[in-house]
Amino acid sequence: MFSRSIPGKLRKIVGRDAVLDRPADLMLYEYDGSLARGAPQYVVFPQSTEQVSELVKFAAREGLSIVPRGAGTGLSGGSIARNGGIVLAFARMNRILEIDVPNLRATVQPGVVNLELSNALAPHGFYFAPDPSSQKACTIGGNVAENSGGPHTLAYGVTVNHVTGLEVVLPDGRIAQLGGNAGSAAGYDLTGFFVGSEGTLGIATAITVKITRLPESVATLLAIYDNVQNAAESVVALTSAGITPAAIEMLDGWTLRAVEASVHAGYPLDSAAVLLIEVEGLREMVEEHAEAIQALCRKSGAREVRVARDETERQLLWKGRKTAFGAIGRISHSYYVQDGVIPRTRIPETLAKIEEIGRKYSLTIGNIFHAGDGNLHPLILFDSRDADQTQRTLDAGREILEFCISVGGSITGEHGVGMEKQDLMCSLFTDSEREIMLRLRQCFNPNSLLNPEKMLPSPRLCREAVSPGHASLG
Amino acid sequence: MSSDTPTAGAAGHDRHVLEMGESHFAGPDRPSWDLYATCVHCGLCLNHCPTYRALGMEMDSPRGRIYQVLQVDAGRLPIGDSFVTHIDRCLDCRACETACPSGVQYGHIVERARAQIEQHYKRPWPARLVRSIFFRHVLGNPVRVATTARLLRLYQRSGAQRLARASGLLRLLGMSEVEALQPTIDDHFFFDQIGKVFPAEGELRARVALHAGCIASVAFSALNHATIRVLTKNGVEVWVPPGQNCCGALQAHAGFREEARRLARENIAAMLDDRFDAIVTNAAGCGSTLKDYGDLLHEDARHERAEAFAGKVKDVTEFLQHLGLRQPTRTLNLKAAYQDPCHLAHGQRVRSEPRDLLRRIGLKLEEMPNADQCCGSAGSYNVTQNELSMKILDAKMKDIATTSAELIVTANVGCMLQLRAGMKRIGRLTPVKHVVEVLDECY
Amino acid sequence: MSSTTATRNAIASRFEGLLGSACVVSEPASLERYAIEGSVPGAVLLPEDAEQIASALRIAGEERWPVVPFGGGTHQHIGRVAEDADVVLSTERMNTIAAYDPGDLTIALAAGATVAQARAACAQHRQLLPIEAGAGSTIGGAMAVAATGPLQCAFGGIREFCIGVTFVTGDGLPGRGGGRVVKNVAGYDLMKLMIGSHGSLGVITSANFKLFPMPPVTATFLCEFDSAAALFRFRDSLVKSPMSPLCAEVISPAAAEYLKESEPRDPDSWSPNGALAPQTPWLLALRFAASDRVLARLRHDLASFTSQEIRAHDENRFWGAVSQLEKHVLARHPNAMFFQVSLPISESAAMIEAAEASATNFNFVAGVVGRATVGSFTVVFLPLAIDPPAVTQFAGAASDFRSRLSRAASAVVVRCPREAKHHFDIWGSTPTDIELMRKIKRALDPYSILNRGRFFVE
Ligand SMILES: Cc1cc2nc3c(=O)[nH]c(=O)nc-3n(C[C@H](O)[C@H](O)[C@H](O)COP(=O)(O)OP(=O)(O)OC[C@H]3O[C@@H](n4cnc5c(N)ncnc54)[C@H](O)[C@@H]3O)c2cc1C
Ligand SMILES: Cc1cc2nc3c(=O)[nH]c(=O)nc-3n(C[C@H](O)[C@H](O)[C@H](O)COP(=O)(O)OP(=O)(O)OC[C@H]3O[C@@H](n4cnc5c(N)ncnc54)[C@H](O)[C@@H]3O)c2cc1C
Ligand code: SF4
Ligand code: SF4
Repeated sequence: MFSRSIPGKLRKIVGRDAVLDRPADLMLYEYDGSLARGAPQYVVFPQSTEQVSELVKFAAREGLSIVPRGAGTGLSGGSIARNGGIVLAFARMNRILEIDVPNLRATVQPGVVNLELSNALAPHGFYFAPDPSSQKACTIGGNVAENSGGPHTLAYGVTVNHVTGLEVVLPDGRIAQLGGNAGSAAGYDLTGFFVGSEGTLGIATAITVKITRLPESVATLLAIYDNVQNAAESVVALTSAGITPAAIEMLDGWTLRAVEASVHAGYPLDSAAVLLIEVEGLREMVEEHAEAIQALCRKSGAREVRVARDETERQLLWKGRKTAFGAIGRISHSYYVQDGVIPRTRIPETLAKIEEIGRKYSLTIGNIFHAGDGNLHPLILFDSRDADQTQRTLDAGREILEFCISVGGSITGEHGVGMEKQDLMCSLFTDSEREIMLRLRQCFNPNSLLNPEKMLPSPRLCREAVSPGHASLG
Repeated sequence: MSSDTPTAGAAGHDRHVLEMGESHFAGPDRPSWDLYATCVHCGLCLNHCPTYRALGMEMDSPRGRIYQVLQVDAGRLPIGDSFVTHIDRCLDCRACETACPSGVQYGHIVERARAQIEQHYKRPWPARLVRSIFFRHVLGNPVRVATTARLLRLYQRSGAQRLARASGLLRLLGMSEVEALQPTIDDHFFFDQIGKVFPAEGELRARVALHAGCIASVAFSALNHATIRVLTKNGVEVWVPPGQNCCGALQAHAGFREEARRLARENIAAMLDDRFDAIVTNAAGCGSTLKDYGDLLHEDARHERAEAFAGKVKDVTEFLQHLGLRQPTRTLNLKAAYQDPCHLAHGQRVRSEPRDLLRRIGLKLEEMPNADQCCGSAGSYNVTQNELSMKILDAKMKDIATTSAELIVTANVGCMLQLRAGMKRIGRLTPVKHVVEVLDECY
Repeated sequence: MSSTTATRNAIASRFEGLLGSACVVSEPASLERYAIEGSVPGAVLLPEDAEQIASALRIAGEERWPVVPFGGGTHQHIGRVAEDADVVLSTERMNTIAAYDPGDLTIALAAGATVAQARAACAQHRQLLPIEAGAGSTIGGAMAVAATGPLQCAFGGIREFCIGVTFVTGDGLPGRGGGRVVKNVAGYDLMKLMIGSHGSLGVITSANFKLFPMPPVTATFLCEFDSAAALFRFRDSLVKSPMSPLCAEVISPAAAEYLKESEPRDPDSWSPNGALAPQTPWLLALRFAASDRVLARLRHDLASFTSQEIRAHDENRFWGAVSQLEKHVLARHPNAMFFQVSLPISESAAMIEAAEASATNFNFVAGVVGRATVGSFTVVFLPLAIDPPAVTQFAGAASDFRSRLSRAASAVVVRCPREAKHHFDIWGSTPTDIELMRKIKRALDPYSILNRGRFFVE
């Protein structure tokens, strides 16, 4: 049979043990960190750029679509093979190609795990600044595709601010070099344009990033509030006071109690919200800023401000934040994470709205977020076996994001559109704005063989999605 | 044998609601929804899993294994070759538990999955035979352990070893590389010591029951003696209560939960006694199982006795560090690196204690990268999954090679053997020792 | 080569019907002001909003009339020599601050707002929009040319803090990327595409930025070195130190001449190899935002390198002079050649050596300013008055200079006499992904009317 020869040909390109085609194996590639599902027909583990190029050419000949996959921690279904085809998994393309300390650069293969790069840089006194909470598992290829951020984005920016060059394989198999080692070069900034394209423009096979010096000193503070309003005011007070903390994270009362139950980070159980604030830099500056932050938080209504006395306390405070999603997992079997963004001045009313939506749909919603950038992560708890509850969850999620749009915000700050928020792209962008994006995608990916049906909704979907309240996230 | 074809889930199907069909699990020790659904498939555990790191495939990752369990329970995946292969490949090192923010009790899931496999899956007959003999009839029976050990000793010393290797007999029994890794059998088994009491030196600071272990008793009796010496020199009275038996770890990990329960009950009867301040073991693998008797026996009527027993179990390093070491009579001025045994670091969350003890006797500790990553030994894993085990070991040796350690220390005999084999593979002479052995040199 | 009066009238009347005559400039006298590298356009449109721009572009597209977007007109010379413009689209009437939310530290600006106007508005709230561009230059223009200045060390280029953009494509489609929030990954990052596109992909109609708190106190340490090599050795230790300066500007001895209040010495009186040394040292100006306590620490750490510490009025004057450098140079040498050089920072010293050697070979003197910690420099080749260079000498000097640089470096000529541009490629080496760039150009400007010829040979 013809189709039986496809795995054979794939094996010829990447090797015998680097192709999966049995349903029992493929089933393990039908998920990622999100709620979406969809199994590919083949999973292939390339080990070099040349193999990726060969694979892409082969897929184009066979009319098979290609979906790149890093660690599959994505929260928007980006690495799900929506209509079958080949998943290109980068688990075996995970070498750090070069660490160039004098030029403050490192070059990696896409499958390198974010934290492993920082670990490799640590002996040199450097690290890779983008720090998604999933950093111990997610890959730099995935970070590039999603333009990932993290708690420290506030001071250091997101992935795109740290990528200077890319080697990419285009859907026709051509290997292109975008950007380079230097900061900026002549021509369009295709590197910047590629980052955040969710695997719909090309496949990153080598990534050159800036490396950042480890700070001399760090102070971590926990500000405790009796109402959310005051916490939100502190965020505004801080951002406008001439202090740029490295991170300002917020947990609402419900969430911090859930976290405290599993981690014992020392979050006070009776408070309405806490802010986790970090400042980094020269020792003297950190000391001064830590003092100023304490004063500002108190002034805007913090009941108490604690300063981590040592590294252990600091780690503990962060542990509470970093494991927060997981701590919710202990309470509820499934949760749906939203990724809305709002102007920082609109935090209080948005939180009130989220609470209202939770009541409306009879759902529990916790809030953990990058308050410093107004990037909210409402977590909606549900049971994935219950069809009705699942639908209510999707509807509530949609309503939250529509509210974010209405206050001048966005539907995703770092997790990407993927397949989960495609229909919301219809309300966020006009027809002509989407038409332009579509034209640009076609420059790279004319037949949509690469990560099809992701990010940009088809014009048809948008025509159908106009009636609100019908979250068909598929 | 059942086919491996999942029954639902066409390519490209966007599914949000989980449809639970007819489960393929049945009988005792079913992995329950409550247990596995705490996994939110976030993937944060992936890079901490040695088999995922070595193979790079979801099927051999914690998330993937849990997903396979879910699919078997949902009726989409049979308990067939594929499921068994991937569950078998799990080291049960529980590094995933440490990494998991969601508190997934992976160890409990995989042990139940294995119990289900034993109940519902027919392995090829040679493997079945060996497994049955080993787990049901030899382990957990001191006399038979001793007999088998004697045979093995004879075999090791007689030259039959070479013959067996050449004949391929061992490979047939699924024990191909066993010679390279198996412990050398002691001349005097520790079983003789069972029932004895060893008085504390100087002021009496504590009284403990020592769990001697079965394999350890035939292959590492010297280590048990060293443990007793270190304890008594630190003012601890050591009892080796009679009636104790193998802890049941290997059985539980292999899916022989019923066997494990029998042993657990025997050990509780023999060792749970108010006179003892603690029940001490020098084997991390035994320790984590002994501490988990509560789960193993959670359906027993006398369940709270199991919990009480579990609460008293202490790894020897944990016990000594909390007791506080007496001034050593000698210190070691060496650079050393400590390898965390999985069942100590991940299974029991004991990490700093052994390190603190080593520093106390003068060693200069250097951290190797990924010190808490499994070495590939994992109980009988290095025997049953030799190829993968060696791949994992090679990665470990690379990490060790980045240090300038003159001595490698660990706290579990299985790891010790595996690391020694690793040193041999790379042609290095760096000694590998147990924490207790090193302490023993200083008292 | 300018359009004839007849075609002028035809063009103007087409647009008057559409936008009203108040928005169309067609008298020759007024058109002079909008000359592009000396060539007067057919008509100038002064649209009031994006919609008008869209309709104007649709007409221009139908007619295939080349269009030049026009901000302050201060840097219309950057790029290749564009085809003569039938239509100039000036953003001067779109000059509002559309929204400013100091609490959120974000600002939304119409494309024709000037950089100075925007920065002044922010300064009132003690906030900073770190775009650096000359007087009169607009937000749209600064984005189109990806303008950078000394603050790049701390804040990066415009791409790092531009959070949203709206524009109109060559065929009149309104487009948008990003939004008003500081973190946003919905849709493609069109900001990146527009920044540095030199008006070739669309007419920018507005842009949003995140702002930074204005540092309350700053101080500048002037560090002197005998040679560029010594300076960059110090820079190497600086990037590994915990110090994070706002600016770390290198100023070469020749460039330093144009910072002084006194008349610069004539390059002809300098020694032939361009060296002003030993009298004038290489300067590294390190500017820090810091409290007194932190400054005390920095002063201590930098003591052995610092020759002078300047603050307040002196400091502002110094940085003002740095930003006026191009103007001062041009006042004296209208035909100086400016390069924008980007490179891996470890190649800085070698690049300077290369610039000096090439300049000398072709009868120029090289001056250099730039961001030591970023690897972004402006290199100027000052022609010697006694033997002014022929147009081919610019081409020769540029290619000689480029041939001495590594492949990782780029040296774009951002200013040189117009006639000289015909003799060489001002962009330097062709990017390997030029095919993709052409495709993008065709996708967003299908009739190829926007700044035709500026970017590519079309
Ligand atoms: C608990 C948890 C916390 C998280 N916290 C954060 C956070 O703080 N900030 C944040 O930004 N995200 C966060 N995420 C989301 C996720 O981790 C990031 O989006 C991450 O960058 C995805 O990386 P990955 O390797 O898992 O990619 P995958 O999920 O495998 O893929 C993501 C997308 O990248 C594409 N892709 C992968 N590799 C390539 C390549 N080489 N070339 C082209 N496209 C490619 C895929 O096709 C897909 O569209 C979190 C996720 C979890 C589960
Ligand atoms: C690398 C670099 C560094 C610089 N550094 C400095 C500095 O340190 N100090 C300083 O004072 N100046 C500096 N400049 C110059 C300064 O940035 C420019 O003067 C200014 O940005 C141009 O603005 P303008 O409004 O005058 O645009 P114009 O000169 O009118 O136009 C410049 C280009 O942009 C296009 N354009 C203009 N408006 C739009 C629009 N709305 N949409 C699309 N395209 C448009 C034009 O077609 C033209 O190609 C630098 C320039 C560059 C390239
Ligand atoms: S086991 Fe834990 S860490 Fe791993 S995927 Fe499941 S929830 Fe995430
Ligand atoms: S127990 Fe060890 S081998 Fe098994 S899944 Fe967990 S980390 Fe992997």
